[in-house]
Amino acid sequence: MSTDLLFQYLTWTLFLLVFAAALVDAVRFPLGANVDIALLFGAPSLAIMINLAVAGGLVAPGPLPDAANTSLMLALSHFLLRLVNDFSSVPLVVMRLSEAGLLLLVAGSFWLPPPRPLWYTLLSVTYFVGHQLYATAAFARESRRSAGVTRRRMEAAAGGSVLLGLAFLAAAIDGCMGLGKWWTMGFFEVPYLASAVFYLLGFAPPAWLRHSWQAPELRRFLGRVAVLPRLPSLDAVLRELESGVAASLGVADAGIGLWDEGDRRLRFTDAGKPYEVPLEGTTAGQSFLAQKPAFSPGPPRGDSAQFEWCGAGGVEAVLAAPITIGEKRLGVLTAYVRRAPIFARDDMSLLQLLADQAAVVLESHTLIAESARLRAREQATQMKEDFLSAAAHELKTPLTAILAQSQLLERRARHNPGEPVDLEWVERLVNEARRMAGVVDELLDVSRAERGELVGARERVDLVEVAREVCGRERQERGRCRLEANGEVVGDFDRIRITQLLEELIDNAIKYSPGGGEVVVKVWQQDGEARLDVVDHGIGIPREDLPHVFGRFYRGTNVDDRRFAGMGLGLHVSRGIVEEHHGRIWVSSTPGQGSVFHVALPAGIQLMGD
Amino acid sequence: MGDGRILVVDDNPSILSVVSDALVLEGYGVETAANGAEALCAVERALPSLVVLDMRMPILNGWQFLAELRARHLDVPVLVMTAACDARCWAEEVEADGFLSKPFELDELLSAVGRLRGAPTGQRA
Repeated sequence: MSTDLLFQYLTWTLFLLVFAAALVDAVRFPLGANVDIALLFGAPSLAIMINLAVAGGLVAPGPLPDAANTSLMLALSHFLLRLVNDFSSVPLVVMRLSEAGLLLLVAGSFWLPPPRPLWYTLLSVTYFVGHQLYATAAFARESRRSAGVTRRRMEAAAGGSVLLGLAFLAAAIDGCMGLGKWWTMGFFEVPYLASAVFYLLGFAPPAWLRHSWQAPELRRFLGRVAVLPRLPSLDAVLRELESGVAASLGVADAGIGLWDEGDRRLRFTDAGKPYEVPLEGTTAGQSFLAQKPAFSPGPPRGDSAQFEWCGAGGVEAVLAAPITIGEKRLGVLTAYVRRAPIFARDDMSLLQLLADQAAVVLESHTLIAESARLRAREQATQMKEDFLSAAAHELKTPLTAILAQSQLLERRARHNPGEPVDLEWVERLVNEARRMAGVVDELLDVSRAERGELVGARERVDLVEVAREVCGRERQERGRCRLEANGEVVGDFDRIRITQLLEELIDNAIKYSPGGGEVVVKVWQQDGEARLDVVDHGIGIPREDLPHVFGRFYRGTNVDDRRFAGMGLGLHVSRGIVEEHHGRIWVSSTPGQGSVFHVALPAGIQLMGD
Repeated sequence: MGDGRILVVDDNPSILSVVSDALVLEGYGVETAANGAEALCAVERALPSLVVLDMRMPILNGWQFLAELRARHLDVPVLVMTAACDARCWAEEVEADGFLSKPFELDELLSAVGRLRGAPTGQRA
């Protein structure tokens, strides 16, 4: 077989293959674009059949088959224009001119006997090449706006179109000028074959090629969504997924609808506003029920509000794929495209892959949130347990003295009935009972703090006076407390609670500076506020504890349970007292060097008539 | 055996007083200390026949005190006294000779002391 024949048969085979694939697609998914592709390749296939019939002797060679061939090739370029109109609008004028031109040229080919006049040849070549170049430009432009497989297919279609145009231009020139074998080979046969290959890649690419084209998009998407499961809010995750999908598919917008098992609806969110989509009558619903990707040309059906939005944005088609992980149906991923995709199946398969990824991301996010909740609950339980054991310890201390002391009294009374009662023993018993009542009161204060009922009757109280009293007591009992204050600092306070506040802060300061060290109390007035600072040079508070010190049951991480007993309530109650007085309390500290507790309370009397 | 006195160590003054009063009433000689450091001084002055020891104390706590005792190879029976829930655990941890869980009955205190130190040598007050 000569090279010419080889090339010719190869080219014909490829065109027939593409036609077969296009025909199958057109039958399975009778969308406008698929029908146009079938027509597009039907024309040259028919021409090829005619040539084969002539070569095989079934049809007599002559002007008729020749005219048919010419017409069919011209028709090919017209159908190509119709295909371009499917995804990118061709001006109506151009379409009408193309139709008119085709009719005229076809009529001409049958009416004018061969050899046809030069002007006819020129016209038909111009028609053909012009259409091919227009189509090439359209495919090239569209490819830049697409992604993944669609982009590659558009590029292939552009390549095929320009090569076919050039091939026939070369053939026409050769026909007129007879440039010889090398011209024919180099500028007709090779480009013709090449165009067939490109068209095959563009309109009937094999599956393995499709997958390799999809891979970079998928990888890019995965890279983008890998961090999402750790985001705190589900909404943020959904928005990121949606924009990732829109970018990967090269579409206008994407939406994720989560399945609400209770209401049996799919819930979407658009610009912060939620809306629901029913299962019946919508593309998303259809996809969810069938658990397969779905596509519908035309704006989304169902929700009229969405319909309006889509109409405004010029959405022409909806793609949907179910988001499912294992057996669990999470929802649906939808994509809204401005133009009906001519390669819908590829877009759908990429969408499904992205939906599968989204399923993994959403499930991971749920699991991470769940484990965080569990951890928080465990922490809360642990804190309560720590509190209970600390509270029990605080109660046991006075109770030990009470039990032992009362039993001593009992013994003494039994063995030496006449002897007078040891007053010191009885006083000790009473004091310890009082102390225990104090611990119980502290526990009750916590619930009073929760209800905002710590502070009772208020009166004119001089903060300096109270500080002097408490400091003096502490100095007597514990040996250290120094007051720095001048004059009076007066406010409308609950004397008992303010005293309690000072006692708590100073007690803490002393307790947590076990190595000794000064505890200084400063009281002054500033900017209409009564200000109080309690300074110690003790163990300090680590930075990570600072936001929590006033919390319930909270004990510092640098507090060794074996050295410092405590329930973690004192500061919590102190904060309650300060805040019920409409004041502020805060702390600054350097671990290992000491802490300062700052209090600011509204100063001055707010009594009527004053 | 030392001079027979019992050393009671606790940072809570009420408990310190009531325990020492109870032991004195029983006829024992008693010495007191408010924390581990004071207890060490007392031990250095004269070895007691028994130490009744609270664990949670400032300056030098029960563990540190006992570590010091061991380091100086001072062999004294120790009765651990604590309000902690795992009193037995702590006692075992420091290899004490006995433990008292606060709050305790007077009888518990006296029988534990009797077991570890023997009957009182002094007069019953």
